[in-house]
Amino acid sequence: MPDWKQQVRNRLGGSGLPPEHESEVVEELAQHLEDIYERALRGGATKEEAVRAALLELNESEPLSRELRRARPTRRLDDIAPGAPRRLSMLGDLRQDLRYGLRTLLKNPGFTAVAVIALALGIGANSAIFSVVNTILLRPLPYKDPERLVTVWEEAAKQGYPRDTPAAGNYVDWRDQNQVFEAMAALADETFNLTGSGEPERIEGRRVSASFFPLMGVEPQAGRAFLPEEDQPGATRVVVLSHGLWQRRFGGDRSVVGKPVTLNGETYMVVGVMPPGFQFPDREAQLWVPIAFTQQQAANRNRHYLRVVARTKPGVTTEQAQAEMSNIAARLQQQYPQSNEGLGAVVVPLHEFLVGDIRPALLVLLGAVGFVLLVACANVANLLLARAAARQKEIALRLALGASRLRLIRQFLTESLLLAAVGGVVGLLLSVWGVNVLKAFIPGTISQVGDISIDGRVLGFTLLVSLLTGLVFGLAPATQASKFNLNETLKEGGRDSASGARGNRIRGLLVVGEVAISLVLLIGAGLLINSFLRLRSVNPGFSTDNLLTMGVVLPQQKYTDAARRAAFYAEMLRRVEALPGVKSAAVTNWIPLIKQGDSISVNVDGRPDPGPGKRPSVVTRVVSPHYFDTMGIRLLTGRHLNEQDRADSLNVAVISETMARKLWPGEDALGKRFTPGSPTSTNPDDWITVVGVVNDVKQMDLVAEPKSQMYLTYEQAGFFAPRHLVVKTEVEPRSLASSVRSVVWEIDRDQPVSNISTMEDVLSESIARQRFSMLLFGVFAGLALLLAAVGIYGVMSYSVAQRTREIGIRMALGAQKRDVLKLAVGQGLKLVLAGVAVGLVLSLVLTRVMTSLLFGVGANDPATLAVISVFLIGVALFASYIPARRATKVDPLVALRYE
Amino acid sequence: MSYIGSHILARELKKGSAELLILSLVEDQPRHGYDIGSLIETRSGGVLRFNVASLYPLLYRLERRGWIQGRWVEKAGQRRRRYYRLTPEGRKVLAAQRDSWVEFVRAINLITGIENA
Repeated sequence: MPDWKQQVRNRLGGSGLPPEHESEVVEELAQHLEDIYERALRGGATKEEAVRAALLELNESEPLSRELRRARPTRRLDDIAPGAPRRLSMLGDLRQDLRYGLRTLLKNPGFTAVAVIALALGIGANSAIFSVVNTILLRPLPYKDPERLVTVWEEAAKQGYPRDTPAAGNYVDWRDQNQVFEAMAALADETFNLTGSGEPERIEGRRVSASFFPLMGVEPQAGRAFLPEEDQPGATRVVVLSHGLWQRRFGGDRSVVGKPVTLNGETYMVVGVMPPGFQFPDREAQLWVPIAFTQQQAANRNRHYLRVVARTKPGVTTEQAQAEMSNIAARLQQQYPQSNEGLGAVVVPLHEFLVGDIRPALLVLLGAVGFVLLVACANVANLLLARAAARQKEIALRLALGASRLRLIRQFLTESLLLAAVGGVVGLLLSVWGVNVLKAFIPGTISQVGDISIDGRVLGFTLLVSLLTGLVFGLAPATQASKFNLNETLKEGGRDSASGARGNRIRGLLVVGEVAISLVLLIGAGLLINSFLRLRSVNPGFSTDNLLTMGVVLPQQKYTDAARRAAFYAEMLRRVEALPGVKSAAVTNWIPLIKQGDSISVNVDGRPDPGPGKRPSVVTRVVSPHYFDTMGIRLLTGRHLNEQDRADSLNVAVISETMARKLWPGEDALGKRFTPGSPTSTNPDDWITVVGVVNDVKQMDLVAEPKSQMYLTYEQAGFFAPRHLVVKTEVEPRSLASSVRSVVWEIDRDQPVSNISTMEDVLSESIARQRFSMLLFGVFAGLALLLAAVGIYGVMSYSVAQRTREIGIRMALGAQKRDVLKLAVGQGLKLVLAGVAVGLVLSLVLTRVMTSLLFGVGANDPATLAVISVFLIGVALFASYIPARRATKVDPLVALRYE
Repeated sequence: MSYIGSHILARELKKGSAELLILSLVEDQPRHGYDIGSLIETRSGGVLRFNVASLYPLLYRLERRGWIQGRWVEKAGQRRRRYYRLTPEGRKVLAAQRDSWVEFVRAINLITGIENA
């Protein structure tokens, strides 16, 4: 007689039931078979026929094992694994899922911590960058109906000024002739010396039209704005203070309204104080006075120095405004060909003007953090997949208990969303910190930096991102679970099927994706770092070493004539140079790299006047004789300016090599003459003679190609007054700051000194935007690299652990450690190489959006691509080497006993 | 009855009435699986037959629903067997199923006219 129990067992396969249940089932069925066998024998069958009859009973053994799984266990398993009860409501299911998910997560604190950290980093970085984007790009400006505010500029593209500051004459005509604007206002930068009580102070202010405050739609918090009659030459001098200045200098005292203050040596009446947060056009303006054009000023079309802001009439689009302004500009060209030849007008929405510079950087960064989050998702998905493999038993049990696959997917997604939610909360906390760090990095020229905060929109964004994240990384393991093949699993005798080919493929694909995205980010970071290094190594044409700089602007009202000013400068420079530790000192109208400057257009001796707009424009620096030594600007030929170049001697200039080459190509520029006036002038005072040629200096910023430059002495060039003092020191420059300032005050105790800085800092500030992009992008790329390395490490560890037996067999058959290492690392390498290939293709497309942020490197710079790829492969190899080395330590005996 | 006919009949009947059959058989006295299987076969004259692979899943399902209860019973000189008896819950279900079965057969008869033919 056969062993019926064995027969039944064979047909059932692994039932996945608790052993005591299984043995009962087997016993019961075996008895039944035995009964049939005996009945058949009694009926006269042979032993063989009887056995066959009994075994026929088990023919449909597959439904049997399935049915058994569904029907047999009587123990309530719901406490362990929800799934079967279909009568529960959706909400009940959800609560159950949540409770169960929470318990599962708490049961694996290590897994949960790793996943939450990865997600929090990803989500936090996104929230932080988004809060910046939200404040700067999305939040409306703090003015009334800000979408109707525009800036208007002169357009002189042919001369290299696509957006130039308008001349007053043109502004007045625009204002009077247009039909599209409700109001228009002009602003002019001016620095004021605030004296009287307390230290003399240099304060950035703006001269503005009376229409300015009503146009912006912001009311003063105390007092009033300007009256139209105050915007007239000769009217009572009045001033409106910013909230910051009012608080700092006047202690927030409301009674300051109506009181006098001394600005540039003249008395102004305070009429109003603006509310906190009102800043226009940037954070620097601390007070406003009426612009009050004189008749002469209002007719001037040659001095381009205004900023113009306007409010469109309701319903007028930017395009309509632009068309109108172009028409007016065309009329002015015909009317004033001398000054307006080739001069257009361009309308730029205020918001675009304010954020134009930083918008591409922010958008690229937003894209970058999105990528970081994707890598984090891939990582967590990988973790979840590996864990799903370990949860096979649970899934099998729940399927066997009749849990629908949909229900399982829901359970998995609930867990993912739970993880994402926790990651989101932690991420939000990280982003609060991150926003503060970001604020410090954002270049100061962006006026809304102070307002960057986490508001409802950022919270909503974080919530959305967390939910999406949960779905994205939860989907792979969830569908994996839903494709779970119960029979296969059971046939494999409890070996996990997610470790089968499909599971490995998904994990492999995730690693390829992670590597690809990380590579794109790393290449982006590499390009920015490369750009920054190139920018940093640009020769500015002067030496920044031991150079102290500060603003010393003499008020015209006090120093009315050139002789008095010259006397002041001469005395100041003499005393400063006498200070111990000072090598030399000089004054100049503008120091380099602060994006400010004066230029004039000139005619060359012996050549016909090419006409207005076509004359060569020359960046003009008005300096004292020691300027070249102080700045370390090299003399190429001729001589420097010296003390003998006085107001009453021959007008001379030292010019830059670019100017020499452009104006006198192929000739020696020394001794040549040029004039800011007419080339037919016979008055020797109109002419300037070239006495020296020096190297080019990056006057505006490090990026721009140098233009023609010339240096005149301040005594000969009365029209541009020096504003900055530069001091070359033998010691740490800042240590001399206060003694230099004291020297100034010894001569005039009311003379303010402002913006004390080293030239090194000025240079550094001039590339703040590039540093901002580079640092952040670098941090994000580093984060992605770290996450990707962890991901590769995780997958390789898992793979090695899975292949322990195979490796054991190989080693038992004589494979060397080297072979095993090659095998394991080779597997990782294949994934990494695939990822690098995909990443390279992606980066060819994606880095193009960064073009505007780059300097001196192409978006597809082959050197960067190569270096970064090799670097990433190195890191990835290292990440897969650690688990591979573990594989070589496998003891064949242990490995073979392992299963 | 042709072979095909009886085959289809058996399948349909099993589907609809297997529960009723089993509950009926354990109504008066507890029975073990082999007993139940043999009784269905002999009492239906061989038309209805459950093999092991389909009978036990049914029994387990009914047990899980709480309509019958299995219990190991040891008798002197014999190996223990699992006897199934009707639970109070099962008794209610049996009554209801019987009613609806009678209803069903009457309806079929009314339509096909078998009863009054």
